[in-house]
Amino acid sequence: MRIAVVRPQVPFARGGAEIMSDRLVEELRARGHEADLVTVPFKWYPGARVLTQAFLWRLLDLDEADGRPIDLVVATKFPSYLVRHANKRVWVLHQFRQAYELDRTELGQFGESAEDRALRRKVQQLDGVALREAARVFATSQNVAERLRRSTGLDAEVLPHPPQELPYRCEGYGDFVLSVNRLDRAKRIDLLLEAAALDSALEVVVVGDGPDRGRLEELARSRSLDGRARFAGRVSEEELADLYGRCLAVYYAPVDEDFGMVPFEAFLSEKPVLTTTDAGGPLEVVSDGRTGLVVPPEARELARAAEWLRSHREEAAAYGRAGRTIAEGVTWERVVERLLS
Amino acid sequence: MKVAYFSPFPPERTGVADYSALLAPALARRVELVIARRGRTRAPRGVAVSLYHVGNDPDAHGWIVDALRRRPGIVVLHDVVLHHLVAGLTVGRSDGHGYLDAMERDHGVVGRLLAHGVLDKRIPPLWESRAEEFPLASFVLEHAAALVVHSESAARLARAAGYEGRVHVIPHPAWPVPDVAPERPAGEVVVGCFGVVNASKRIPELLRAFASVRERRPRAALLLVGPTSPGFDLDRRLQRLGLASEGVVRESWVDERRLWGLMAGADVCVNLRNPTMGETSGSVVRALSLGKPIVVSDLGWFAELPADVALKVPVDGSETAVLEAALELLVTRPEVRGAMGRAAHELAARAHDLERVADLYAAALEEAAGGERVADEVLREVSEAAAGVGISGDDAEAAEIARRLAEVELGR
Repeated sequence: MRIAVVRPQVPFARGGAEIMSDRLVEELRARGHEADLVTVPFKWYPGARVLTQAFLWRLLDLDEADGRPIDLVVATKFPSYLVRHANKRVWVLHQFRQAYELDRTELGQFGESAEDRALRRKVQQLDGVALREAARVFATSQNVAERLRRSTGLDAEVLPHPPQELPYRCEGYGDFVLSVNRLDRAKRIDLLLEAAALDSALEVVVVGDGPDRGRLEELARSRSLDGRARFAGRVSEEELADLYGRCLAVYYAPVDEDFGMVPFEAFLSEKPVLTTTDAGGPLEVVSDGRTGLVVPPEARELARAAEWLRSHREEAAAYGRAGRTIAEGVTWERVVERLLS
Repeated sequence: MKVAYFSPFPPERTGVADYSALLAPALARRVELVIARRGRTRAPRGVAVSLYHVGNDPDAHGWIVDALRRRPGIVVLHDVVLHHLVAGLTVGRSDGHGYLDAMERDHGVVGRLLAHGVLDKRIPPLWESRAEEFPLASFVLEHAAALVVHSESAARLARAAGYEGRVHVIPHPAWPVPDVAPERPAGEVVVGCFGVVNASKRIPELLRAFASVRERRPRAALLLVGPTSPGFDLDRRLQRLGLASEGVVRESWVDERRLWGLMAGADVCVNLRNPTMGETSGSVVRALSLGKPIVVSDLGWFAELPADVALKVPVDGSETAVLEAALELLVTRPEVRGAMGRAAHELAARAHDLERVADLYAAALEEAAGGERVADEVLREVSEAAAGVGISGDDAEAAEIARRLAEVELGR
């Protein structure tokens, strides 16, 4: 089959959605399909730019390429699913979250003017129109599916995606808690740093980069975490697998996250996940006392949970192993089979 | 965003007053709501948009239509057939010419002639006998910047009346079920019917069907709750069918709390009507929330209820026979009642959830207040980009762009 995987591209940014869609193309090719990635740059500000940039997708003609038909289009995140195609399937990784659950939070984009409010509604309306015309709609998690149902009335099939391929291994349960994430406010790395400030035995390693890095480093300095909080920045795949392999546990507690690959990566390294009750998608696989610890989003609670794991390493290992069983059930084989069925 | 809210409210005893008492607090959590004082026809200062609740009762809604005619806004059309309202606002105010004009506008010369007949008392008032043939909705629709209706069938009726603006279909919100003890009359299985007792609610058909069922199921009971319309001789009908002394339990007007208790005590809820004025039924929505199996007429909004929630009775010659079969099924099969009740409860939670409904209202209001400016901005930016590469208004490429904009509802 000739398949176009479509994805918006924010120049110079790369995250889970990019990794996932690149991988999808590879997996489709590995199964004998002719697959390619189609991207269009995306800028969502100022004002109505979010709509006009989204509209660019509508002008594309993906019925065929170079004189031969494209049999299927798999769209991933907003606004790529506005693309036209008779056999459009959407695997929703992200809606435009500023128009939904992030609205009226510090992570939101739209103000209180009549124009901004209407703009936000227009984004939601656009989602409804684009998704309703899709032949099938999948969501990466129950959380994303539920949001879709609330906002558009559409029922999406839940289809989680496997994490990136790394040389996963477990080399014991060291003293540090690992955070792997893009450094922006929504990922809430500051909560982990505040927990470390309360527990002088808690060491953290922060992997990733992003716009919040300066603030987080300043926070670590102001809480005198030097030596206990290490900002590793972007690391190689081998380094990442090594950190996963040696850590005590993995911290992952964004605000109402869509899904997130990090819990599965932690599980494949047999590590428990430390998360919060408001983390959204991760809670579908992180169960308190089974595959990790789930605590209220407060530094004190987090510090207490990390301390408990340090003093209960056998339980930590058992949680990690239970997680591994879950993660191993999510394979590209199944994903491709369902996407194309 | 400040929104002026025009509606009857309790203690007025109308369905729309109950509706607004439920909706307004939820909506006020999303927009700044300014409730218009009854009789006030000028929108408060500084509002971005006004929301007008319009129903068919001129006493309850006349002042709201007056306000709407001063300043267009979003109209919540609780009934699509508005003849009674229009008659009240014209004939009822000694404005015969207004009535003639309204009839002519919607129904041409024939309409005007009929209206003359009514004014001259040559023919009976059309609003009492043939309102659904002459809905007179454009009296209100021509002032509506956008419409909110509660069903697809109401949306179709509005379109059929010539309305070309934006129409939002927003389900009737469900009330939270109050903590009341079920009140249950004697009877093995209780069939409840809640609302005004008259011919258009198909009470004669219900009584006949129930009388037949009761011959075979003597321990079934019919609970009729609601005032009897003037001229409808219920007692005589009950006597004739042998239901006067047993089998039928009668309650006239009851307060809200007792209504919930009685409905909670019923095993089946029946809500029939013909004709429909394009309305929904608060009674049916309450029954959904309580998880009751429902029997409805197969028309209007009622026909849109899912088949696993409601048994639908056609409004034709088979009406009584089908109704009898539906009652027989529900009276004798508790497992069917259970399955339908669960589906009803699930539907209320999913489609009629108050927070969801309030979100949909907020979306409609926000779109009405700022949508045009957003559309202008999008069109300006797209036009400039097109002009920048030499595409002008008459080109085929411009037509293609316009078509694509319309597809995703970004155009005008």
